[in-house]
Amino acid sequence: MRQDRIGFLFLTPALIAVVIFYLLPVVMTAVFAFTNMSTATGIRGGGYLVTEQTLRDLSGHGLTGATLSQLADAGYEVDTEGLAALAATFGDRLAGHIEAELGGESFATSRELERALRDLRAPELRITRDRKQAASLFQRSVLNIRHDTADALRDELTGAGIPGGDHDMIIEAAYTGWSWTMRNFELLLSLPSTARYALNTLIYVALTLVLFNVGLGLLLAIATFYLPKPSAAVFRAIWFMPRILPPVLYVLMWKWLMWDNGFLASALAPFGVERINWMLHSEYHAWVAIILINGVVGASFGMIIFASAIKAIPQTLLMAAEVDGATRWQQVRYVILPQMRWPILFVTAYQTLSLLASFEYILLSTGGGPGSATEVWAMAAFRTALNNYGGNLQYGMGATFALVLVIIGTVLSLLYLRFFNFQALLAKPRIER
Amino acid sequence: MRLVLEGFTKRFGDTTVIDALDLTVADGEMIALLGPSGCGKSTTLFAIAGLHQVDEGRILFGNRDVAHVSPQERNVGIVFQNYALYPHMTVAQNIAFPLRVRGERVVEMDRKVREIAGLVQIGELLERKPAQLSGGQQQRVALARALVRKPDVLLLDEPLANLDAKLRMEMRSEIRRVQLETGITAILVTHDQVEAMSICDRIALMKDGGIVQIAEPAEMYINPMDRYVASFLGNPPIAFLDAMADEELRLAGGASLGAAGRLQGLDRLVLGVRPEHYGPGKGVPLEGVVVMLETHGREDLFEVELAGCGRLRAILPAGSGTRIGTNVNWGIDMDHIFVFSPDGRRL
Ligand SMILES: Nc1ncnc2c1ncn2[C@@H]1O[C@H](COP(=O)(O)OP(=O)(O)OP(=O)(O)O)[C@@H](O)[C@H]1O
Ligand SMILES: [Mg+2]
Repeated sequence: MRQDRIGFLFLTPALIAVVIFYLLPVVMTAVFAFTNMSTATGIRGGGYLVTEQTLRDLSGHGLTGATLSQLADAGYEVDTEGLAALAATFGDRLAGHIEAELGGESFATSRELERALRDLRAPELRITRDRKQAASLFQRSVLNIRHDTADALRDELTGAGIPGGDHDMIIEAAYTGWSWTMRNFELLLSLPSTARYALNTLIYVALTLVLFNVGLGLLLAIATFYLPKPSAAVFRAIWFMPRILPPVLYVLMWKWLMWDNGFLASALAPFGVERINWMLHSEYHAWVAIILINGVVGASFGMIIFASAIKAIPQTLLMAAEVDGATRWQQVRYVILPQMRWPILFVTAYQTLSLLASFEYILLSTGGGPGSATEVWAMAAFRTALNNYGGNLQYGMGATFALVLVIIGTVLSLLYLRFFNFQALLAKPRIER
Repeated sequence: MRLVLEGFTKRFGDTTVIDALDLTVADGEMIALLGPSGCGKSTTLFAIAGLHQVDEGRILFGNRDVAHVSPQERNVGIVFQNYALYPHMTVAQNIAFPLRVRGERVVEMDRKVREIAGLVQIGELLERKPAQLSGGQQQRVALARALVRKPDVLLLDEPLANLDAKLRMEMRSEIRRVQLETGITAILVTHDQVEAMSICDRIALMKDGGIVQIAEPAEMYINPMDRYVASFLGNPPIAFLDAMADEELRLAGGASLGAAGRLQGLDRLVLGVRPEHYGPGKGVPLEGVVVMLETHGREDLFEVELAGCGRLRAILPAGSGTRIGTNVNWGIDMDHIFVFSPDGRRL
């Protein structure tokens, strides 16, 4: 019991790290996914603001035209506030004059107020344009005035004569802060781009994994195994280079290779091949580029794991196969590959998860283009939440994207773990007879 | 099939591991490559199998020179010390592997596997994986796999080294039985002289990459070519005494062993005396004291310190009552001693 507690104590730092760096982000992602947080709403609370956009939204929700125009144009009132503004533009004399004649009066439209002003026959307001300007200073609208609480907005609406039945709807629409919503998920299911991202991710993960991370990795491991030791080491080192290169530099080299003035285009130009951007010329070019760029980095991981697994196969086993008459290919097929099941499964599992979550090489190379031909799920999450073209970062929507990724990743991990069936990895006890 | 090595030379880089080795194994003969660790036994075996390149010389299977033929095309069977069974295949699949890579028909394969499994007595284990077998069973599977395609030669690289003493004796006679039944030409690599002597037709004793003597076990025991051979065979081992010869043959301490005969005039000699040729009532008595006693059940092994000229071993039936510290006056049977020059040559 005490030992348990001590063990727990030793584990604490790791547990804390797991909670802070893994669980907390996941929980926060899950929480954000159910909100409409964005740059506009901020991540704290918000105020109440009726804007032109609010009106448009409200008209869609069945608010009557009368109420809408009332909201947009709540009438004119000669009050101290308006008078102060008038004094600043037209002078105190006129302000005093208007206050005396029209103070406290209300007008439904701009024209009524203008007529009343003309009747004052003030010299400052001889021109129609000046009268319009003066009238506008007394316009009282609900629009574009920020209220800190719902009650303040309600008072304003009451003041503007909006029917009480419509208040709740208007207040809700006017709220500028974030709120809980399922809309992200509805959107995710309804947007055609979602399917596109999902398909792209599938292509990206499957092709990179099968062709390079496992396929090429295995090929390299086997090839280097049969190579003389020194050349094998050099060969492996070369394949390892991309992994130790900073991604930005690595991708830059690819760009240099594939740009329309790059190596490839220049090398092919003398043969009459049109100079094109080999990376972004078409969807297919982009896909080939992305899978190559990711694959060349990814292959070395599999290569190292597979190479050490092959080395762990007793030398005499291969000697026996050789004497038994097995050709190189048969040795690979019947002796080496069957013993690589666990390493292959491990690399597949590990690399699926890393590929699902990674997009840095895509971002740096094609940037998801041309169009969004190579935009993958994780990148969509990043763009939506943190790096939007429009500038309105939709944290909530981004979190929804990310949450789906977390769920898929977790399910896959559990599946792989089952597949691994770690107990099966241990040798069965020998049956002595 | 007759196997001949002619001037076989093997180098690893600059070091010559085997230097111009000649060896002939008759058809159906089982020969032992015996020698201390590192003398080149495995290297020779692997060269015969084709796993090592041959630097110089010829390797003849019958009349065919296979020195530069790939191992796949040589038709040899080999059993490794660690068995080298394919862990992911069942016993049946392991045994069938040499047939499978040749593309034999399944029915044919099945028949041969059953036949050979019967021969090595593992018929009931065919569906097991190697990890579910005991060491002795794995050894039998390895033997079956080596034999299944009727190889020209069977090569065994210390096949018994990983087994416990009892199993080793059992497998030893099993290997011999199977070899005799199949009539296959076989080479057994071992550093255990008992193993070599008990089951092989002839022994090739190796030292530093060369063969010192090839002979039938009894012949080699009775008539060793030099001091190295004499010391390698026999358990408990032979003992050596320094000696000289004027008119008489004398031990270094001065005790006389009788007339020198043809050795007369050689002032430095080494005598080799096997334990069974030293004891009470044999030849010339010599004074000595028992310094060590090992009880082996049926017999006792003694070590006797002769007055000032070295130690001899004696082996006597149990119950002699002689103890450590006893002064004895045992003698050497002069008809059976070996005389060597100081550099080890037999005289
Ligand atoms: N691949 C190699 N490269 C360099 N030297 C080697 C190699 N294989 C063996 N040798 C050397 O050749 C010599 C003979 O080796 P070999 O394996 O034939 O010995 P052995 O008689 O089988 O010994 P053991 O009884 O220990 O198996 C040894 O000195 C060893 O160090
Ligand atoms: Mg060896």
